[in-house]
Amino acid sequence: MDLQNLNPSSLKSRFTARFLRALTEINAPKTISSSSPREIFQRYRRIKVAADKSMAYSVRSRRIWSRATLWRLRTRSRSRRLVSFGRRASVKTRTTASHGKENKEHHGAVLGVQAEELRELVPGGEAMDLCNLLDETAHYIKCLTTQVQVMRTIANLYSIE
Amino acid sequence: MLHTLESLESCNYDGMDMTVLERQAARLKWQQQYYVVQNNNPVPLSASSVPQSQGLIGSNLGSGQMVELKRPEVFLGTDDLQDFVNLPVSGPDFGESEKLDLVPPEAAADYCISRTFNCQMTTPNIAVMKEEREDVILEKIESTTGSGRVSFNKRKAEAVADHKSKDKRIRGEGESEVKTKCSTEISRNSSKENSKASEVQKPDYIHVRARRGQATDSHSLAERARRGKISNKMKCLQDLVPGCNKITGKAGMLDEIINYVQSLQRQVEFLSMKIAALNSSVELSVQNLPMKEFPAYVANFPAAAKLPEMAGLPCFQLNPLQKESVRFMLNESLHPPQTEGVARASVCITEQSLSSSSMTVIFPTSMIFNCSSSLTSCMMFSNALHLSNSYCSNCNHSQLGTWILKAFTTCTIWDFIKIVELNFVFYVNR
Repeated sequence: MDLQNLNPSSLKSRFTARFLRALTEINAPKTISSSSPREIFQRYRRIKVAADKSMAYSVRSRRIWSRATLWRLRTRSRSRRLVSFGRRASVKTRTTASHGKENKEHHGAVLGVQAEELRELVPGGEAMDLCNLLDETAHYIKCLTTQVQVMRTIANLYSIE
Repeated sequence: MLHTLESLESCNYDGMDMTVLERQAARLKWQQQYYVVQNNNPVPLSASSVPQSQGLIGSNLGSGQMVELKRPEVFLGTDDLQDFVNLPVSGPDFGESEKLDLVPPEAAADYCISRTFNCQMTTPNIAVMKEEREDVILEKIESTTGSGRVSFNKRKAEAVADHKSKDKRIRGEGESEVKTKCSTEISRNSSKENSKASEVQKPDYIHVRARRGQATDSHSLAERARRGKISNKMKCLQDLVPGCNKITGKAGMLDEIINYVQSLQRQVEFLSMKIAALNSSVELSVQNLPMKEFPAYVANFPAAAKLPEMAGLPCFQLNPLQKESVRFMLNESLHPPQTEGVARASVCITEQSLSSSSMTVIFPTSMIFNCSSSLTSCMMFSNALHLSNSYCSNCNHSQLGTWILKAFTTCTIWDFIKIVELNFVFYVNR
């Protein structure tokens, strides 16, 4: 399948370029035989993080969900390195969650339960009213579909080889 | 007529019997007569007899005047009529009652209106004119006296004030009766006014006309606008999410959207798993075993080696039921795998274990996978995944991922890919 996209600056091409770069970085260190489950699991986690990160970078923080994803990734990486900062990160998530709950009560939407579920799904959706949440969901769905397409083609390529 | 007045005065002056007051009264009467001559047709007055003129002088303008006014042709000669025709009847000054009264009423009204229609008249004047057509006679009567003129002006003012309220009525009349430029102008102007009322008049406020039966305060308007925005966005989302054409209503749509987003996220996870697995295979150039060889490959694995690994999983606590199933599976694996029997047994076990916690459903199916052929185990596994996902919350997915990887240690990459692909198919078709 042809990975060269027609529009060089489209979301798909940007994501593809970044993701392939990340993949090469992940696959570069090959010291141990990687058939062990732990290795595969670790690589799976890294690939997933790389996919999310490259997608968020392709959107370039124009959207609330991309900013939230990037912030989450950064705080997680920071919390892993420094234990003391982990507490701060957890406190931050707690504050955002409480702020989101206040918003939920304030914007007493008719479809409160489903809106709450959607907020949990879409990153950064806790602090958004229903109007913006629907916008973000639409863009998020579009980005996810491109992500799935690209990753499927990559997997097919790998499997053929 | 003047000679009669002169005769009056002459007799006044000659008699010298009249007092100053009487003289002044005579002068007033003369002035009124003069006005009458100016405003009305001199013809009827001239042709009328003295008693009629006296009737004119008095404020008692009754039917006599009307009669006189109605029949101008009797009094007017053709010459005089032509004189009146030549009199300048200007459009904008139409409000001047005097000029209107110079011409015979009905013909004058028609003539004036026709003349003024050809001119570019403003709407209030046209309205006034049209109203005057109906009331023209009464206006003429009233305008003969000074007070009458005041009242006529008052009526004109009222007409102008009533113009806005009778806008539509006049427009309707105009369009039906008179088909000229001005009628279309009226409609255009009034429609412009109506549209302007709904457009932005000031930069600060937007004037909106509320529909029937709906409130007009700012809060409800804002709410209505917000609801409209939300419905528009729901329509856009309906286009994005496949299979949402039949569903109406926000609740169902939101449910579908949530399911779709969840499935997309799971697909991303599985694809990343696939890539991770594939990467290792590509790097190590692991043998891609064909499907036929798989059962033998699996059977070669020592069951005992598997068991401690499975037991070592900390996150799952097996029920007695599952323990029995594990033992059963292990026993089965020692023997040459009879795929169908194992599959049937696994089905029973999965159904039994469904009553318990969701994650442990995966456990026996993984055992089944290890023991039986790849395809049936794939089906079992996919079924189990489906069932587990219907019960699981999202937070268990990471656990599921780790668990799957640990459970497939003994499998070949090829088989793993097959399972993953089947799961993709399943998730896509949900």
